[in-house]
Amino acid sequence: MAATAEITFRTKGLTKVYRTGAQDVHALRGVDFQATQGEFIVILGPSGSGKSTFLNIVGGLDTATAGEAWFQDHQLTALGEKGLTQYRRDHVGFVFQFYNLVPSLTARENVALVTEIARRPMQPDEALALVGLSDRRDHFPAQLSGGEQQRVAIARAIAKNPEVLLCDEPTGALDSATGIRVLEALTQVNQAIGATTLVITHNAAIREIADRVVRFADGRIVEETVNATRKAPAEVSW
Amino acid sequence: MVISPLRRKTLRDLRRLWAQVIAIALVLAAGVATLILGTGAYASLDETRARYYETYRFADVFADMTRAPGALIADIRAIDGVLAAEARIVKLGLLDMPGMVEPGTMLFVSLPDGGDGGLNRLHLRQGRLPDPQSLREVVVSEGFAAAHRLRPGTAFAVVMNGQRRDLLVTGIALSPEFIYALGPGEMMPDPRRFGIAWLPGASLAAAYDLEGAFSNVVLKLVPGASADRVIETLDRLTAPYGGVGATPRADQTSHAFLDAELKQLSAMVRVLPPIFLLVAAMLVNMTLSRLITLEREQIGLLKAVGYSARAVAQHYVEFVLAIAALGIAIGFVAGAWLGAGMAQLYAKFFSFPFLVFMRDPQTYAIATIITTAAAVGGALLAVRRVLALPPAVAMSPPAPTDYRSRLAGVWRRLSLPQTAVMTARHLLRWPLRTLSGILGVAMSVAILVASLWSFGSIDHMIDVTFFRGERQDAMVVFAGPEPARALYSARQLPGVLAAEPFRAVSARLSHRNLSRKLSIMGKPATPRLSRVLSPDLAPMAMPEAGLILSEALADALAVRPGDRVTVDFLEGNRRSLSLPVSGVSLGYVGLGAAMEISALNRAMGEGALISGVNLMLDDGAEADFYAAATTTPKTGFVAVMSLTLQRFKETLAENITIMITVYVGLASIIAVGVVYNFARIALSEQGRELASLRVLGFTRAEVSGILFSELAAVVLLAQPLGWLIGYGIALGMVTAFSSDLYRVPFVIGREVYATASLAVIAAALASALAIRGRINGLDLIEVLKTRE
Ligand SMILES: Nc1ncnc2c1ncn2[C@@H]1O[C@H](COP(=O)(O)OP(=O)(O)OP(=O)(O)O)[C@@H](O)[C@H]1O
Ligand SMILES: [Mg+2]
Repeated sequence: MAATAEITFRTKGLTKVYRTGAQDVHALRGVDFQATQGEFIVILGPSGSGKSTFLNIVGGLDTATAGEAWFQDHQLTALGEKGLTQYRRDHVGFVFQFYNLVPSLTARENVALVTEIARRPMQPDEALALVGLSDRRDHFPAQLSGGEQQRVAIARAIAKNPEVLLCDEPTGALDSATGIRVLEALTQVNQAIGATTLVITHNAAIREIADRVVRFADGRIVEETVNATRKAPAEVSW
Repeated sequence: MVISPLRRKTLRDLRRLWAQVIAIALVLAAGVATLILGTGAYASLDETRARYYETYRFADVFADMTRAPGALIADIRAIDGVLAAEARIVKLGLLDMPGMVEPGTMLFVSLPDGGDGGLNRLHLRQGRLPDPQSLREVVVSEGFAAAHRLRPGTAFAVVMNGQRRDLLVTGIALSPEFIYALGPGEMMPDPRRFGIAWLPGASLAAAYDLEGAFSNVVLKLVPGASADRVIETLDRLTAPYGGVGATPRADQTSHAFLDAELKQLSAMVRVLPPIFLLVAAMLVNMTLSRLITLEREQIGLLKAVGYSARAVAQHYVEFVLAIAALGIAIGFVAGAWLGAGMAQLYAKFFSFPFLVFMRDPQTYAIATIITTAAAVGGALLAVRRVLALPPAVAMSPPAPTDYRSRLAGVWRRLSLPQTAVMTARHLLRWPLRTLSGILGVAMSVAILVASLWSFGSIDHMIDVTFFRGERQDAMVVFAGPEPARALYSARQLPGVLAAEPFRAVSARLSHRNLSRKLSIMGKPATPRLSRVLSPDLAPMAMPEAGLILSEALADALAVRPGDRVTVDFLEGNRRSLSLPVSGVSLGYVGLGAAMEISALNRAMGEGALISGVNLMLDDGAEADFYAAATTTPKTGFVAVMSLTLQRFKETLAENITIMITVYVGLASIIAVGVVYNFARIALSEQGRELASLRVLGFTRAEVSGILFSELAAVVLLAQPLGWLIGYGIALGMVTAFSSDLYRVPFVIGREVYATASLAVIAAALASALAIRGRINGLDLIEVLKTRE
């Protein structure tokens, strides 16, 4: 059982069909996937290949049409709306392309928003320190740059000490230097709290910082590569 | 037909925001409806009354006397300014209806000799007028006939001047003189216990020994003649014959009560519609401001491609005009329908032979203009700011909402949950909108406070009048003054436990140029049954020499304790003298003046006389008492407090449910309209944040909680403000309504505030629940894909 304990995610034949009017869109066509505890996985693939759909389902934001998705011993595909909310609340940290911070709360308050409802959170200040933003904690999102806002979003995602950290194009809206800072924050956090981390990106260069790279195409995983050595974000050329 | 793209957008916006559109339209509709209802019902009643008076020659001046010789009428007709004068006999008698235990009164009014040709003409509903030669035939008032199922041909018995007589109904009629038929000693019309019978003068003269004489005269004046001057001469002419002073139409009971009712109606027109229109304007402004913020970039684009600021403004004004049109249409229908219903209610309560419906197009035009102006005004305020922006600025997204520095640090020190901080910051970020929301909800609370308080105040009035002041069970009023020993025979009547005499004398009280005509009541030095209360509700002892005036009278004469008033007695030796005002008493109905009974008799220069007795009765012996009291020849009429009170309560109960329903309905329209719009706007602004929170693992309930706590803050802050505004409106109404006829005690109990708040909170909850579906339906993934 030692081996299974290490597996955080497992999906089998995961399928998602969007029924919109006349035409069905097959976003996922049977995805089999596994991730182990603490793994840092980069997901690549062309636009529309189903990356976000996949991430949303394993993150408990969306439901599958067929197939199974497991988080540890919870079968996500069997959970209802309440169960999924609880799952997100207890286990998942999200980072998105557009930060999605609450504009009426300061950086630290945005983090506190999550720690207030988490089971074993860290201090908001601690989380902000991990992303290097201690000195900006009393600023509102409108007073922060895009990269800083994204790092607040990361701090908010990790402050609950999540088992998984799901990032959908976290650097998509950022220039390369800022992107690197954000990636550094992510790898640092991955090491510090040992959360299984899935990062979707369009920037193929980023793959070098991952333990493993998964490539999506047309709703399927078409390629998996294990990196023997991980590069640091600063070493990556964009 | 080609619809321009902008107009198509208007239609789509209307459809997309249909719920908000309807909520605003309903508030507008309530304003329009109350305006039309009020002015319509007012105009209908006013016109109905005017035509009724005109067609049936309602008199301008009324005067009673004991016995005037028939020849006097020629002198009266000769008074300058008199167009027509009619001598009548008007007398009270008692009812003797089979199966009716409680005492009832009948007012007998003589018909002119030549049939029904004179003033205060009858409107015959059924049958015919009595044969002038007949001693039995009468026409009775419609309400009375209905209450006793009398029809032409039915006989019934009365006691006239102490003698039982059988009468035969030949007709059923209405009279402009008794539109509001209030029996003696009553507070509300009760057609069962008070009726009017018209009969030939000869018949009535025979019964009351008034052959060749009359006891009442009514005058029609030349248009433009001064009633006061005519009354002065008339009073001089009738004084030798026991004239107690003439009354102008304005003080005639039926007319005055109808007037008071019309006054209340017009007060409603002044108070309610402005509230609705103000709230509607605020809602339009709120909603449109949000819409415009969302469409700011589109507006910039429109201007960039060459649309003029005017054209853009027109687009939004059209949107609002559509809402206004909907509200006006609903308001017209509801107002016309309710107005007809209300006029009918009034017609039933007051006896009108017909109802003139006034559908004044002008009212509708005014309602349309005012409503449209309110809506467009609210809209223009919202549009102005964005139109002022140069297109380039408008097209770029607005600077992110800046929450900086607003009470920074305060929140941290309060150590509130972050969601509460969100709520508070969001409310403070848009202070004007938050204030509008609070004011709107406060208005709905105010409407309820301003309408519901009157019920509690009536309870207070009942308590004070019947349980602290007039504690007697019954009052026997003699047909004329009797020697003091009549008290002892009253005490002998079956079922009587205690008796207390009183003397009532008509008099004119004057102070400087102010004067009032009323009855001065003489009471024992320390009355036990019919007590006079001081403003702090303590029973007052009758002073040895002076007068105690009711607050209304003291105000009317502008006197204070210590001042002296001139008293001209209108009965007996008609003395005039000056008396000190010893105190001021509480009194809600009519004008009151009281003094010690023997002091009153002394002032009159008469022996010990009494006008009647107040009695305390043995429970269960009432029936025996009624029977004995009504057959005693001395008895003029008997008033029974419990019956008066019961009738009063019944009448109120008939109206109270309708009124409460109407007011709660109106208040709910505001509360729902404000809360729903406020919530929709908040959701539109924060939907993205709320969805983000759901992604972070907040439950639906927690996320709804954030929005609901914002609504709760608005609704709760509105309560005290609403109480205050309601209090102010109620105070204004009390001042406007108080007249010589009655004044309303201004008491607002805590239960009034509580009821108003509960009703409004319930309406707010209902609209919050309507929003919940939208919160639950927030698309979590959508917000992740898009930047705001
Ligand atoms: N709500 C939806 N309704 C219909 N189709 C959808 C919906 N969401 C996604 N799709 C479709 O599902 C497919 C997969 O979408 P998804 O967002 O997972 O792609 P992606 O790999 O994340 O692409 P990108 O790199 O552009 O973000 C696409 O063809 C998309 O059009
Ligand atoms: Mg995607």
